[in-house]
Amino acid sequence: MAVLAERRPLGDAAKAWALNAPAMVVIALLVAYPIGYSFYVSLQKNNLKRPRAKRFIGFDNYKSLLSDHAFLSALKVSALFVVVVLGLTVVLALVLALVLNERFHGRGLLLSLALLPWAMPGVVNGLMWRTIFDAKTGALNGLLQQLGLIDDYHAWLTSGTGAFLFTALAQVWNTLPFSVIILLAGLSTIPSELYDAATVDRAGAWRRFTQVTVPWLLHPLLIVLILETMNAFRAFDTIYVLTGGGPGDATTTIALLDVQTVLTFTDFGLGSAYAWVITAITLLISVGYIGLLYRKGNFEV
Amino acid sequence: MSTLVRAPLRYRIPWKKIVLYVLAVAFALYLVLPFYWIVAMSFMHEVDALSVPPHWIPVHPTLENYLGFIHPNDAQQLVGGRAVSETPYSLRNSLIVATSTALLNLALATFAAYSFSRLKFRGSQVLLVLYLLTRMVPGIAIIIPFYLLMRSFGLLDTYLALILSYTTFALPITIWILKDFFRSVPRELEEAARVDRCGWFRTMWTVFLPVAAPGLVAAAVFAFMTAWNEFMFALFLTSTKAAKTIPVVAANFATDFNTQFTVMAAAGVLAVVPPLVLALLFQRKLVQGMAAGSVKG
Repeated sequence: MAVLAERRPLGDAAKAWALNAPAMVVIALLVAYPIGYSFYVSLQKNNLKRPRAKRFIGFDNYKSLLSDHAFLSALKVSALFVVVVLGLTVVLALVLALVLNERFHGRGLLLSLALLPWAMPGVVNGLMWRTIFDAKTGALNGLLQQLGLIDDYHAWLTSGTGAFLFTALAQVWNTLPFSVIILLAGLSTIPSELYDAATVDRAGAWRRFTQVTVPWLLHPLLIVLILETMNAFRAFDTIYVLTGGGPGDATTTIALLDVQTVLTFTDFGLGSAYAWVITAITLLISVGYIGLLYRKGNFEV
Repeated sequence: MSTLVRAPLRYRIPWKKIVLYVLAVAFALYLVLPFYWIVAMSFMHEVDALSVPPHWIPVHPTLENYLGFIHPNDAQQLVGGRAVSETPYSLRNSLIVATSTALLNLALATFAAYSFSRLKFRGSQVLLVLYLLTRMVPGIAIIIPFYLLMRSFGLLDTYLALILSYTTFALPITIWILKDFFRSVPRELEEAARVDRCGWFRTMWTVFLPVAAPGLVAAAVFAFMTAWNEFMFALFLTSTKAAKTIPVVAANFATDFNTQFTVMAAAGVLAVVPPLVLALLFQRKLVQGMAAGSVKG
């Protein structure tokens, strides 16, 4: 018996590592190795167009970022983009999830519709909004004019501010479903006794919301915050198609700048340095988030 | 008793219901109208689609835009011909890549998730967090080495390069979704099978996995969506119709200034249909799966 008790955990461990081996090999080869290698490339002067100039330059790429106008501007655009997209997404997703958590005719249909934007690839999302915001024939112009809200067709995407705001709106439409699903799942786990108790205490709808719903929803809300922060921070495909980063650099996010640097200018060294800054910021946010959950005792694995 | 307390009967306006329905209708319009516009356009002739004021319903409905993907007419061949002719291939490529990704993911994640849900071993927590951390690394950070890696294996412009990269994207989340689902499967089922002298593989195949099917479906749909929607890796790793996926071809429509809006809209609609059908088919399980995988942490 004693022998068995000693052998069991060891057998478990061996079995567990064997079961994890395939996933670990794939991830090590296709993620861990590339991550390490990309850091190495970021320490090089490495441009495909000038293969002879390739050499090791230490942290010079990173040092150059501090005075790199394109980089600083893209970082600012990304930060602002995160704030606007996140704010709109959280408010809209929360209201939609609260609506879907009620019983009413057509609830199933609304839930199906809420999944629609999720099925749309970012590139197609960009195409769709391009036909809608189009200056000469767009649906937005047509609708506003027929409603008598505008006299002439506007070119929505030609001013920096306009392009930025409309790009953010397009992004929000696309990312809404994921947040709604997570919040809805969170809402569905609230025990109804809590509401009953609040009702007995004669708490109004608003107090029930702030004192029962919101505290209970804190954890899913945090998850939405982190996921959408990362999504918005890496936003790229919708913008690539909708504005291409323009006008000027008004919608050039850090991810878009990085892709352009690598793909168009084939500057692998600088591109990798950009990527590492994106990675560092993302990891910082993630670690902060996991720490926050851990302290609240909500993080169980 | 309660009748005594109740206020005298009078007509009360059901504010809550009114607000609920107003919001529901507003959201329904917000969600569906943009998509309706490209669906409507995809059935219009170019002239009607460009009219001012716009036609909200196709006045002379036509299938021309869709048929053009198979047999482009002269005008379609002239403008944006390459993207048009590549669309059917890209749809096929996307289907193959996304389905393979979903299956490969499921295979790898099932083993790993099972170990987390059933076996006690040192380092399990660290390993789980490590899996998740790999997902935090943005794709752009690994695209260059990945490109070089695939080039040295001669895998550029093949399905395998895309399937492998998308598998690493989806794997961490799939493992997390499945581990929580597997925990909800009663242990007694496997113990009963073991008493009947079933081996581990047979127990998994005939008893465990069928019970965990809803979780498997949610995880598979998630992986399929990830692969279907991805653009950056497809842009870097593919160059011909042999492996280009639908987002890459769709982006070609956008950068080509000659493209007809109506053809572009038709391509967009085709790109949304397969994942949409999948999402609607498995709606209930998706919400369940997300609930298990994300809300608990």
